[in-house]
Amino acid sequence: MLRFENVTAGYNSSTALEGVSLKVPEGKIVSIVGANGAGKSTAINTISRLVSIYSGKLYLDDRDITRMKPAEVVELGVVQVPEGRQLFAPLTVEENLKLGFHRLARLPDAADRYQERLAYVLDLFPVMKERFSQRAGTMSGGEQQMVAVSRALMAEPRLLMLDEPSLGLAPMVVDRIFDILARLREDGLTILLVEQHADAALELADYGYVLAVGRVRAEGPGADLRNDPALHHSYLGNVGAHA
Amino acid sequence: MLMTLSYLLLAGLTNGSVYGLIALSLSVIYSASRVINFAQGEFVMLGAMSAVLFLVTLALPWPVALVAVIVVSVVVALGLDHGIYRPLVRRKAEPLTIMIGTLAGAIVIYGSAFLIWGPEPRFVPPVLSLAPIRLGFLISNAQQLSLIVLFFGFLALTWFILYRTRFGLSVRATGVDPKVALLMGIRSERIVQFTFIYSAAMSGIAGMMIGPLLGAHVSMGILITVKGFMAAILGGLGSPFAAAAGGLAIGMLEALMAGYGTSLYAEPAIFVLILMVLIVRPYGLLGDYEAERR
Repeated sequence: MLRFENVTAGYNSSTALEGVSLKVPEGKIVSIVGANGAGKSTAINTISRLVSIYSGKLYLDDRDITRMKPAEVVELGVVQVPEGRQLFAPLTVEENLKLGFHRLARLPDAADRYQERLAYVLDLFPVMKERFSQRAGTMSGGEQQMVAVSRALMAEPRLLMLDEPSLGLAPMVVDRIFDILARLREDGLTILLVEQHADAALELADYGYVLAVGRVRAEGPGADLRNDPALHHSYLGNVGAHA
Repeated sequence: MLMTLSYLLLAGLTNGSVYGLIALSLSVIYSASRVINFAQGEFVMLGAMSAVLFLVTLALPWPVALVAVIVVSVVVALGLDHGIYRPLVRRKAEPLTIMIGTLAGAIVIYGSAFLIWGPEPRFVPPVLSLAPIRLGFLISNAQQLSLIVLFFGFLALTWFILYRTRFGLSVRATGVDPKVALLMGIRSERIVQFTFIYSAAMSGIAGMMIGPLLGAHVSMGILITVKGFMAAILGGLGSPFAAAAGGLAIGMLEALMAGYGTSLYAEPAIFVLILMVLIVRPYGLLGDYEAERR
């Protein structure tokens, strides 16, 4: 579905990704793991077109999206749950969800689609039913992450990208989020997961990439990468200790 | 006694409506971009001066002149957006830098108007009748009342757009975090462009309507910007309605100070009031949590 071909990208003329090639197949979970500063978030922001691509190509279903604008990528169904949730804190939960639905809001059957998507996310996170009119910024970190994932799902994404969804959350909440990701894969959604907690991310992933200093250092099935002690020692340090 | 107070309140409401419209315009742009448009008062000046051009020089009927005034305001607003706001945002300029940019824009608009119309005050013919209208024991006229109606009309329209439409939700989201708004597929630059256009049209119409009451001259813009900015700060810049209420408060205060004391003390008194309010409530009298950007 998504393909990086030898992508070099970065911010303000500095390089954060160098010659990265990776694939995200349809209906699978792919995890990108690595230590702080490895270039994981840059990879996701490159796909969202928030980062400049200096060379290489980015394809979605064989369509070149290298020069697209952020809104155009979202229109194709590539949706991101950003690091640190980044909800619209002063707005209510319901308003945040409506903003997530922006991609589909101009369709002729938007009203029906909105109700369908809402029913879907409320089935995943029933607790949100009682929080509709609450300002998103007043919720706990775990609740905010649920709203952030729900907001992205409201767009009916084809590719869901999550940037460090476990950041700052209690292990129990992280387990709940990862269970939801497994359920979304069962529902046929393609997921790209960027995580510092390598063990949990690789356990869930069908395929994984290990990044270090902006380059792909290793790749393979999630379980193989997870059980490779040399890899842990060389590139992941102690960050795989979660879960 | 009661009659004097009523007259003062009507005068305050009229002035307050003008300040409120400018504060509303400033706040709508601020809501989406976190930038104060220091050129906002120039659109009032443009509205008043171009009304002279269309109503007197070209002798157009007032509905046509009104449309022409809106077109002039929108074209200049697009110039401000494409010539200053967008280039600076694309170079990742801080809001303060963009504000300085709008100040430069104000100087360019003023300079251009000076070259076209010169320094002399101009008479703006009233669109509506100046014949006295009795409201109980108060006497007003249609032109004056139309300003108050215009203010409350734009207030209602702005509320409707911001809080009852999907587009308005996108405006508010862009104001909270333009980068995350982009991740929702919202085209933030277009949202900000709309706020520039909407505010310019609002200010241009206000200029056309206050011209006959206050007179028109090319240097009127800066004073109006300052009053509108004071109003927005007093009410609460982050909320267009709080900012508009600040405009009414300043208009009333000015009228009451002039009526019961001397207008000399009105402006210092307003500054002291703003200072006191900001010490107690940094987000303004009615500003709330929504004013806070993460």
